[in-house]
Amino acid sequence: MIYPFYSERGSLLHSLDPRVKILGTAFGIAAIMLYNDPKVLIPLFFVFLLVGRFLGKIPVGEQLRLLKPLLPIVIITIIVWPLIYEPRLKGLLFGISFATRLLTFALLTFLLLITTNQRDLILGFVRLGMPYEFGLTISIALRYIPTLYILSRNIMDAQRSRGWEVEKGNFLVRAKKMTAVLIPLLVASLKTAHELSIALESRALGASEKRTFLYDIRMGRRDYVAMVLVLVLFGLTLYARYGLGIGHVEIYG
Amino acid sequence: MIRVKNLWHVYENGREALRGIDFQMGNEIVALVGQNGSGKTTLAKHLNGLLKPTKGMVEVDGLDTREHTVAELSRLVGYVFQNPEHMFFEEDVFREVAFGPRNLGLSEDEIEARVRWALRAVNLEGYENRTPYSLSGGEKQRLAIACVLAMRPKYLILDEPTTGLDARSSESVVKTIRKLHSEGHGILVITHDMELVLELAERVVLLHDGRKAFDGPVEEFFSMELHDYGLEKPELLRISEKAGVGFVRNVPELVEALAGGGR
Ligand SMILES: Nc1ncnc2c1ncn2[C@@H]1O[C@H](COP(=O)(O)OP(=O)(O)O)[C@@H](O)[C@H]1O
Ligand SMILES: [Mg+2]
Repeated sequence: MIYPFYSERGSLLHSLDPRVKILGTAFGIAAIMLYNDPKVLIPLFFVFLLVGRFLGKIPVGEQLRLLKPLLPIVIITIIVWPLIYEPRLKGLLFGISFATRLLTFALLTFLLLITTNQRDLILGFVRLGMPYEFGLTISIALRYIPTLYILSRNIMDAQRSRGWEVEKGNFLVRAKKMTAVLIPLLVASLKTAHELSIALESRALGASEKRTFLYDIRMGRRDYVAMVLVLVLFGLTLYARYGLGIGHVEIYG
Repeated sequence: MIRVKNLWHVYENGREALRGIDFQMGNEIVALVGQNGSGKTTLAKHLNGLLKPTKGMVEVDGLDTREHTVAELSRLVGYVFQNPEHMFFEEDVFREVAFGPRNLGLSEDEIEARVRWALRAVNLEGYENRTPYSLSGGEKQRLAIACVLAMRPKYLILDEPTTGLDARSSESVVKTIRKLHSEGHGILVITHDMELVLELAERVVLLHDGRKAFDGPVEEFFSMELHDYGLEKPELLRISEKAGVGFVRNVPELVEALAGGGR
């Protein structure tokens, strides 16, 4: 597993220009931030699931599996809001709305990553005016998520073999116990980062001011159509929210 | 006695890593070999309860691993992980070795006695105040062994103990393993270093695709067609075969056989 998310499936989303997808994702995220009413947010979440299914050829089950690690945060959000907000029913409503936003946010990001390979992603960011290092940093960080996950499981197993049990004790005791995992994890990560920096430098990253690209991307007619569509849809969302006043519930009222 | 009966392990993603393993070991040095992905680590992690059987049974001195926690089993089976640095987090060697016994809830006196004993066993006396990360490769590996040894387990599992070490460092690790064996420990060495198997093991267990493909004496193991299992015959054995002296364990034996034959 070199790059954890991308997989080639030859869908419409896969074939679009990365710039369109990056901007589409950004507008999608902006749209869900406009609303806080679950009556709008929940259908929106399903709309994006369907977009992934039919335009990106990613089975719904797979999309949900990617979101599974967020489940604890989602549950906590839904439980905590009604506890701290009166009236409780409205608190629950907000809990659900924040949880849905979070899930949609993650879903949109995943869709971008699954349908765009690393090279195109970096290129997309660069052509949108971001520094090359920005795209590179993001894709390296993503690349190392699974590595770090496997590493931390391995370290936990090693410490468990020395009688370490994180399940025992209260929150403070547990937090202290975590140092037995965090320190080896930190050391191993720093080592990897150091090796990576040597690898990058030995290939002369940053040696020339102006980068040239072996591959380039070009917007086709389909890409322009898609971009216009994204802008129109975003315009409609703005109108629905501010023109018609749909989808917003006062929190502090 | 470690007893593994018809052990199956299926990972969450559906991968059948072990398919019906039967295996027993006592106070011997067993080499567990096989290609990458053949299931060595998966099998070893069952012996101290890090993994539980999907089907079948693992029993250590009469304890069913399904009914005991890793912490409980750690007093019986010590597992030294492949990369020693993955366990170091204390500021000095003494505290690092004391971590295990401390988790067992022992008295300070007992902890200190165990640390001294474990450091002596791996030949690291006098290193108490060093930082674990400042040690050399072989010293780190031996410190990792000491950390696990301080739990006073009867059985020791070593995952690739010599990988990445230079000749002298691995020699020091091999010496330590021999010494522990002579003191009555049962030792399971996971390795794909056939030279190490030849030098150290009393018995070889070969895994292939989640199944046990061979279990028997070292000499018989090396008479098999190892290429079929993605393994290489040690250089030493090729030389000895060419020279017509048959099976030898190490260079001195080869020299002696050659000298004897010449006489
Ligand atoms: N945590 C895991 N989840 C899923 N599959 C795994 C996991 N760990 C190992 N495997 C798979 O199980 C098989 C056996 O792995 P392993 O026991 O590590 O083999 P070995 O130690 O002989 O290289 C491999 O195909 C590996 O990909
Ligand atoms: Mg392994």
